[in-house]
Amino acid sequence: MGNSSVDVADAGGLKTRGPPSSGPKLSKLAAIGNSKYLGLYLLAPAFLFVFVFFLTPVVLTGIFGFTNMSTATGITGGSYLVSRSSMLALKDRHGLDEIADDLSKVVYTIDEDGLAAAAQGKADAATLVEFRDKFLGQSFDNRRDIERAIKSLDSRPSSTRVIKAIAANFERSVLNIRFDTEEDLFAAVSDFGVSLDAEQKIALSDVAYTGWVFTTDNFKRMVSLPETTKTLINTMFYVFTTLILFNTGFALVLAISTHYMESRPAGFFRSVWLLPRITPPVLYVLMWKWLAWDTGFLSVILEPFGVEPRNWMLDSPANAWTFIILINGMVGASMGMLIFSSAIKAIPQSLFYASEVDGATRIQQIRHIILPQLRFPILFITSYQTLSLMTSFEYILLATEGGPGGATEVWALTTYMKALSNYAGALEYGYGAALALVLVVIGVTLSIFYLKLFDFKTLTAPPKIE
Amino acid sequence: MSGNYRQWPMILFLGIVTVPLILMYVYLFVDTVTNSPPGSMIPNEFTTEHWRFLWETIPGRPSIWVATWNTFVFATSTTLIVLMISSAAGYSLSRLNMPARSFFLGSIMVLHAFPTVTLLIAIFLILQMVGLYNTLIGVILVKASLELPFGIWIMKGFYDTVPWEIEMAGIQDGATRFQVWTKLVLPQVKPAIMALGIFSFLAGWSEFILPLVLAPDNKVQVLSVYLAALIADDNNFDMALFKSVGVFYVLPVIVLFVFFQNKLMNIYSGGTKG
Amino acid sequence: MMHYRTALAALATTAMITIGSGAALAEEVTITVWSGGSGPNDNYRIDAIKIAADFLEREAAVRGEELSITVEGKPYTQWDEFKQAVTLAAEAGTAPNIVVAGHEDIAAWAQSGLIVPIEDYVDVDSWPINDIYENLFDISSFNGMLYGLPQDAEARPFFFWKDHMRGIGYSDADIDALPGKVQSGEYTLQDVLVDAKKIQDAGLVKPGYGFYPRVSNGPDYWQFYLSFGGQMEDGSGKLVFDKAAMTKFYQFFVDAVAAGVTRKNHIGTPWDQWYGEVASGKAGMWHGGTWHYKRYTTTEGLDDFFGNIQFSLIPAGDADGAANTITHPLVYLLTKQDDDDAIAIAADLVKIASEPRINALHAIKSAHLGITKSEASVDLYSGDRWAREATERLLPHASAMPNNVNFGQYWEIMWGGLEGSWTGQKSVADAIADVETELRTTLGDKIVIR
Repeated sequence: MGNSSVDVADAGGLKTRGPPSSGPKLSKLAAIGNSKYLGLYLLAPAFLFVFVFFLTPVVLTGIFGFTNMSTATGITGGSYLVSRSSMLALKDRHGLDEIADDLSKVVYTIDEDGLAAAAQGKADAATLVEFRDKFLGQSFDNRRDIERAIKSLDSRPSSTRVIKAIAANFERSVLNIRFDTEEDLFAAVSDFGVSLDAEQKIALSDVAYTGWVFTTDNFKRMVSLPETTKTLINTMFYVFTTLILFNTGFALVLAISTHYMESRPAGFFRSVWLLPRITPPVLYVLMWKWLAWDTGFLSVILEPFGVEPRNWMLDSPANAWTFIILINGMVGASMGMLIFSSAIKAIPQSLFYASEVDGATRIQQIRHIILPQLRFPILFITSYQTLSLMTSFEYILLATEGGPGGATEVWALTTYMKALSNYAGALEYGYGAALALVLVVIGVTLSIFYLKLFDFKTLTAPPKIE
Repeated sequence: MSGNYRQWPMILFLGIVTVPLILMYVYLFVDTVTNSPPGSMIPNEFTTEHWRFLWETIPGRPSIWVATWNTFVFATSTTLIVLMISSAAGYSLSRLNMPARSFFLGSIMVLHAFPTVTLLIAIFLILQMVGLYNTLIGVILVKASLELPFGIWIMKGFYDTVPWEIEMAGIQDGATRFQVWTKLVLPQVKPAIMALGIFSFLAGWSEFILPLVLAPDNKVQVLSVYLAALIADDNNFDMALFKSVGVFYVLPVIVLFVFFQNKLMNIYSGGTKG
Repeated sequence: MMHYRTALAALATTAMITIGSGAALAEEVTITVWSGGSGPNDNYRIDAIKIAADFLEREAAVRGEELSITVEGKPYTQWDEFKQAVTLAAEAGTAPNIVVAGHEDIAAWAQSGLIVPIEDYVDVDSWPINDIYENLFDISSFNGMLYGLPQDAEARPFFFWKDHMRGIGYSDADIDALPGKVQSGEYTLQDVLVDAKKIQDAGLVKPGYGFYPRVSNGPDYWQFYLSFGGQMEDGSGKLVFDKAAMTKFYQFFVDAVAAGVTRKNHIGTPWDQWYGEVASGKAGMWHGGTWHYKRYTTTEGLDDFFGNIQFSLIPAGDADGAANTITHPLVYLLTKQDDDDAIAIAADLVKIASEPRINALHAIKSAHLGITKSEASVDLYSGDRWAREATERLLPHASAMPNNVNFGQYWEIMWGGLEGSWTGQKSVADAIADVETELRTTLGDKIVIR
């Protein structure tokens, strides 16, 4: 008996409830070695999906938080570019004014090397001969002038592209040219006649690189902005108020009250309360605006009573918060309602009948029968919804956009705005990722706190398996 | 529900609290089939013109039926993938040793703490590496993966309630573990499968930001993006049309929920409830 | 010796071999065009490229070459989604050949290498490029090179509802003289507040409707900063934060709220409501863009625009500033592609699409302004009263936001401060102090703080 149980247990890593009668079939069992592997096979697709599309992005985003990635740096790749802005940076950050000025010059020189290179393109020989005759030894300080010079020739090329191609061969300066590698940049600079020592090379490379680099500036920035604290406080206030009032609190109310109703009204209320969750956010917020705006329902209804029409949503921070909490709360309550309702349904009816026979009131039933059974669901909803609320911003974005004046700006909203939404298209992914990292840290801390608070370990040791 | 208590206090209380919600939705529906003079709340005529998108294609947009089909494909595929993988993984995890459970639940929480929005760029990079950027399949895979932790947790919870006797009996009768799983255990967790299926479909149907960023092409546009584009169009703002499209968008899910309400309620009942 | 030079020289050589040799080319090219913020009236953004393609094919035929161009266009109605799509597509290697975007995108996209300068492919001395308005030419340039060609121009005027002005004592002659007074600096923003109050007190408009500005962030708000003498960028490429000008700018809106002519939470009002109200005379004075003409007369059903509305530059704030308007043109930009020939063809298409007659189609249909000087003499354009008057009154005085990689951040911070003071969350002094801190932290030495 023990033997067979152990065999089965070993074969699948299972804990058995009790020894079944050992029979001739068990040797076949033990031979089904793939029961262990079955577990792995069943787990593999999940692991693959979550790893590739969830975990890896999470790790990548964590890494991006330590970079200055933005629209200007691009996501992949970068080149070395001597431009007006990089030369400004060379002056400001490294004080290399003279070098910056030297590198900013544009020089086109008509010399033998250039003519030879132009000739290689098998361009019209007549053109080049005339060009040499008229312009050998001259220099131009901008591209348009040399192109005009080429255009002034009698045997000028008919195509603009050829003209530009010829001109390119005479460019000696490095301004506005994209170099793929550092070495190319340095070689071109030295060819141009500007000599750099090692330190200056590092400085140049630093300002000329257009791609993203690793940096802790994001966090420094976060810490030194006064908004950060305010946003943090807003977020905590928002999350906990909505959580307690609606996501957990009102969800319980809904679940319990519909429990005490017949199925038709119960079904009706549950469906209505699920509507906010399934309505597209854009539409849902629009309906609230219809209710709360200056020209909205509330204003119109209250006007005959002498209340001046006003924007109930944006009038003051208190107003804005009230509506934000209502809007998000009504959406959040539905999930809790569903989970709690089904948990209540799982309570055996006999318990209720018995207590009624004993003369219990509803309140007593709630306190002694329902709530204890809901301990685990409440924990789950509370922790899950805390995180949901912390990372949600859509409704706030649509309703008040963080207004009035940043009063309802929460951390997740700032993250979105910085990373993906800027009027001039200047998206800052790196900073957004850094903001997200902070959110994760807070979220994880809170989760651990919840687990300790609700004594999670004992809750997850259900006796069912043993 | 017991017959001994009066239910009207409950109904009254909930009714009052629900009034704003009902008001907003009733007005929404009314608005889709009526016209009101500007600045007034009272409609003055019935019309079906706001529903014209059903038979006309609005200039500059794909047909609503294309978008609906895409949304349907998206939601259904995500649901199927989530169901299949979650039921497999949940079963596997349910039968493994204890320490993994807490860790697993903990890791679900951690993943959930990451705002999806900020993952977008990283997800884009990965999709691009596998060549699935701007395809519906790519978004489906991503969405399914993001839903998986929750799904696995739900399924696992359900598997935990399935008694061992069923499996042992099956094994004793000579079935392989795999057969035990598919023929004996799965039917026991049907309520979970239904509930998870509905949740996933709901999530897939209303997903907005992922298709918006990862599949912007018109051919693969989903209803949520279509709807958002309608309201962002400064030049051709038509509030009533927008509301009608919105209602059209929401209707299938409402219908789904009304029909399957009871199944959803059974998440906790387990399969062996007598 | 020259081997390290990327782009131009190497490709130049190839180009000379294939093109300079004059061999007949049988080429089939597909050119994709994406445009952002485009509604049904903006179809010429893409259609102009199609017209240009037809021309290029004919020119090729005349030269004895075979060229077949297919143009695929995709308009996006929004901006956020469009810019994300362009950026991501570029990373994925599937960027469209031509992009119609705001000029402010040039800086970031040029830096990251997403776009290439059109000057690498076209002769700036040729027609119609040499006819483009100078300020538009500059707006489409970055780092001294012409990156794109302006696709449409617009300006952002100040509007007055004539009946309400009459109601507070302006005669018709006075109203006609208003634009002149605004331009010379005689009529300032302070006068705007005074008149708005009068209009409200006379009961001609409801409270909060005297001065009815834009309801969301936009380039328009920089106009008020300019009105008080502010500068956005100095000549050397650094941004400028003029504290005094910004303070007066914020203070103006706070004063408007205090006087009751503008609502405290005006920002966030739905656009359709706003358009409906200004087009039907519910507001006294407001500001907007030249494309509003189309919106009022078609969607909002305003029959007599000129009889009801007077328009001018944005008034100066005080003696330090001047009347101004900002133009926010969209530009045709060329994305980096592997196939250099495709870029060259795209460049030619964009050049042809910018010719006066073709551009006028877009300008008139979508109520934008022209981009070349001769466009003003194209019949379609000159025959349109709005195009004529707006071009004359506004374009010569128009400035634009700078093409600067960090301008986007400066803008967001400016807006945050404005919103904070407007809604009364912060005092103007606090808002300015916060803006300064944030600018220092975020932009560091890239901005000059005066």
